[in-house]
Amino acid sequence: MKKHPRFAVVGHPNKGKSSIVSALAMDDSVQISDMPGTTQKQRSFPLKVDGKVLYELIDTPGFQRPRQVLEWLQKEKVSAEKREERIRLFINKYENDERFNDEIELLKPIVEGAGIIYIVDASKPYGQEYETEMEILRYTGQPSMALINHIEEADYALEWKRVLGQYFKMVRTFNPMSVNLENHISILESMAQLKEEWIRPVKEAIELFESYHKQMLEKSCEVISHLIYDALSYKERLSLKNEEVQESEKEEIEQKYQASLRQLERRSQKKIEEIWNHKNLEKTQNILAFEEIDLFSKEAASVFGLTRQELVVTGATSAAIAGAGIDLLFMGHTLLLGGAIGGLVGGVGAYFSFDKLSEIKLLGQKVGKHYLQMGPMQNRNFPYILLGRALYHLFIIMHRSHALRSAVELDEGQAFKVEWLNDALKKDLERYHQLFRKEIVVEGEKLTEYARVVQSAIGNIDNKVLNILN
Amino acid sequence: MDLKLYLNLYALLQRDVSTKEQQRAFGLEHAVLKHKPIAQLAAWEKRYIDLLKRPLLSERVTSYLYIMTFLLGTLSFILGLFSGIALLSYNGHEPVNVVYFMAMVIFFPLFTMLLALFAMFKSRSNSNILMHLTPAYWMEKIAARFAHKEESFKKHFNMDPILAKWIVLRRAQCMALLFSVGLLLALLGTVVTRDLAFAWSTTLKITPDGFYAFLNMLAFPWREFIPSAIPSLELIEHSQYFRLGERLSNEMITHVEQLGEWWKFLAMATLFYALFLRTILYLIVTIGYKRALKKSIFSLEGTSLLLNNMNKPFITTGALEGEGVVFSVSKDVQMLRELESVYDFIQGWALSSSFLEVLNEVMKVKAQHQVVEVGGSNTLSQDSEIARKSFGKVLLYVKAWEPPTLDILDYIELLLEYAGRVVIYPVGTENEGYQAKEKYIQIWVDKISMIDTSKIWIKVP
Ligand SMILES: Nc1nc2c(ncn2[C@@H]2O[C@H](COP(=O)(O)OP(=O)(O)OP(=O)(O)O)[C@@H](O)[C@H]2O)c(=O)[nH]1
Ligand SMILES: [Mg+2]
Repeated sequence: MKKHPRFAVVGHPNKGKSSIVSALAMDDSVQISDMPGTTQKQRSFPLKVDGKVLYELIDTPGFQRPRQVLEWLQKEKVSAEKREERIRLFINKYENDERFNDEIELLKPIVEGAGIIYIVDASKPYGQEYETEMEILRYTGQPSMALINHIEEADYALEWKRVLGQYFKMVRTFNPMSVNLENHISILESMAQLKEEWIRPVKEAIELFESYHKQMLEKSCEVISHLIYDALSYKERLSLKNEEVQESEKEEIEQKYQASLRQLERRSQKKIEEIWNHKNLEKTQNILAFEEIDLFSKEAASVFGLTRQELVVTGATSAAIAGAGIDLLFMGHTLLLGGAIGGLVGGVGAYFSFDKLSEIKLLGQKVGKHYLQMGPMQNRNFPYILLGRALYHLFIIMHRSHALRSAVELDEGQAFKVEWLNDALKKDLERYHQLFRKEIVVEGEKLTEYARVVQSAIGNIDNKVLNILN
Repeated sequence: MDLKLYLNLYALLQRDVSTKEQQRAFGLEHAVLKHKPIAQLAAWEKRYIDLLKRPLLSERVTSYLYIMTFLLGTLSFILGLFSGIALLSYNGHEPVNVVYFMAMVIFFPLFTMLLALFAMFKSRSNSNILMHLTPAYWMEKIAARFAHKEESFKKHFNMDPILAKWIVLRRAQCMALLFSVGLLLALLGTVVTRDLAFAWSTTLKITPDGFYAFLNMLAFPWREFIPSAIPSLELIEHSQYFRLGERLSNEMITHVEQLGEWWKFLAMATLFYALFLRTILYLIVTIGYKRALKKSIFSLEGTSLLLNNMNKPFITTGALEGEGVVFSVSKDVQMLRELESVYDFIQGWALSSSFLEVLNEVMKVKAQHQVVEVGGSNTLSQDSEIARKSFGKVLLYVKAWEPPTLDILDYIELLLEYAGRVVIYPVGTENEGYQAKEKYIQIWVDKISMIDTSKIWIKVP
């Protein structure tokens, strides 16, 4: 018998067993559908830390012929301590009988010592036929709890609770479709209560799980930080065929430039989805729908970016800071003038470069190889658009239950912007954006600092937004 | 930590040589290195280096750099030697002007060292104007153009410009050092092999007193230890030299044996300004270079992730193996839209008899023989008894909201053996007014269609 705590998630077909396991195990590969009998084999979801299993969740098929099982079990009257023996006997006897495939799959982990988590759907009325299932579970003698799921709006929780209270020492409610760290952990804590010796390992697991969550958030912010830097500093090059620049070549480089930036965004989103274990998101085409709001469309600009006035203000202040610090010795400004000029230039520059992405430069004339270059990004608004989109994407991904199989939709963006962007943050960000835009190599440290700013931006977002989003 | 580590890491991180899990395993294996990231990275590089294609990028780059340094260093040395010889060339008519030599060993080194210092501290920009002012930078550029090699690996590899700057800076110091060694050797060589007459000359109005004070100041580092290495006021007076007029020849000729004394001062000036200070600068630049290298290693894309993966617990929560996918093919099933008003038997699956009564009233149907509950809390033998007694047309109500289980399918199959025709009617809850939701009916339709018989019908709205 295995030492670590194991929990078998069991119940009637189609009550959300797999959804709950999927959400708790953060695994979006689980088969979930409204066809009963979707799960056919028990499937284990261990929480592993450096190869060591701390606990294990087990998804199981639903009861299909509970009356036959119970009748067989009760055919012979046995004393309470022999009941488990009787279940084993049943499993041995019908192991290869197709009729009891589902029951055997779900009973096996239980007789191997797993705690029972019985799932019911309280949006449907209670029915007497459930008692058969609960009797069988009680027959196993394993510690058990009931978890109430609400698949639909209707609420029969009261009548359910009255019955469940008679069979289970603990009855809890859980919504697999919208989990957050808090209720995730609270469910784990309840599960730990099933057996005294499980409290400690599960507690350890919870601590690790929290740090895991933090790790994922940090990693995601690093990814976003790299995205913004890569996008702002990106340079697209196009070799020219002739000496003269053709109009079509200008168009071509612009197209390529935009495509490259979109590619950067897509890759970064993919990375973030992988970090959060949303590996199958693409298959449901959620990402496509998300990306229809184009990086370069008017809509995206107005939803996430800054207005012209906002930019002039942030441009002026941050350029003044930059002006006062460096370059003065060598550029011939006097010290005081430098700041003022910097401010002026920054502000005006922000005003004029509002619509423009980047200049197209003709380079390499002296060397003899002619090519066009586009980038680094000059549009002051662009980093905010990109960052806004990235934050939005991350926010949705990190709060998305792994049990969902539906598409992600992108609306309510304006409300979102209000949430994350404030004046202090704007000033902070603008400093980095200016750095990223310069044609210099930015040190890893700077990117880590920026990642921290991004993380604080995520922190600004109230979970209320989620309600708006959902 | 050296450049090779940086380059190998760069090459390794470009490829996915290890999984997250392996990286963590590596971190645990080398737990003693946990707080020494560079050592950790070096150990990791060592483990995977064999996966890289030969010749290694690091070998190519460092051998290129080595050859370059060697060539430029040799060139600098020869240049120093020959400039020294040229400066000290004495044709017997005109004395050697020490001001030129001083310019080469004091003022020029001070100026380039100052440039180097500025270039060092204005560290971030890679298009550094100051860099372009140093001769070493241009020698390097020209040499690279001849070597043609730079281009070939630049295509695949972009060195961190800050690091590149430090490499160039360090080498520039090396070259300047060798250049000065050349100068010193030239000086010593000519002093030994010829008798030199030094003099000083300038268009500026500088009195010998002023010049003496100036030289004294320049000689501050050694004037205490080697007083003879400072020209005396007398010597300076005697060796001032004007292109025109009589004075020079007489003065100089009378003191000609003294004029050679200058060499000590020049040698010390070279030793201190051109060699000692440069060596110090070289050491400083080396420290800066090491720091830049460290920073560059940490700035490589993937380094921080790698370290993170090594040092933080590797946690997985998902299933270990994949799940088989179930495909259900739904076949046709006969649908019924209107109920008849009378059935031989009316049965309800897990529905109480009181509930059935209400249902019959609402649906306006009657049973010829029996209204009865099946399933639910019935025993199996009760159910089979009911089935065995059924005949003719049977209406079977089921809870639409509950998914069809195999238990009910067993019963339906049994029932079909006795009944002539079975109508399955999925009903909604009381709150729904007994009208089932479309999606639930669909689930029932799909499930019932698995029973292959023409005797079964399903009631749909
Ligand atoms: N809206 C909503 N839908 C849910 C919830 N829980 C489950 N569902 C849906 O209910 C259906 C059944 O969920 P599953 O998780 O597959 O149920 P199961 O108990 O594993 O089913 P079987 O494996 O067939 O026994 C799926 O369509 C789910 O999307 C919930 O809390 N809210
Ligand atoms: Mg399932």
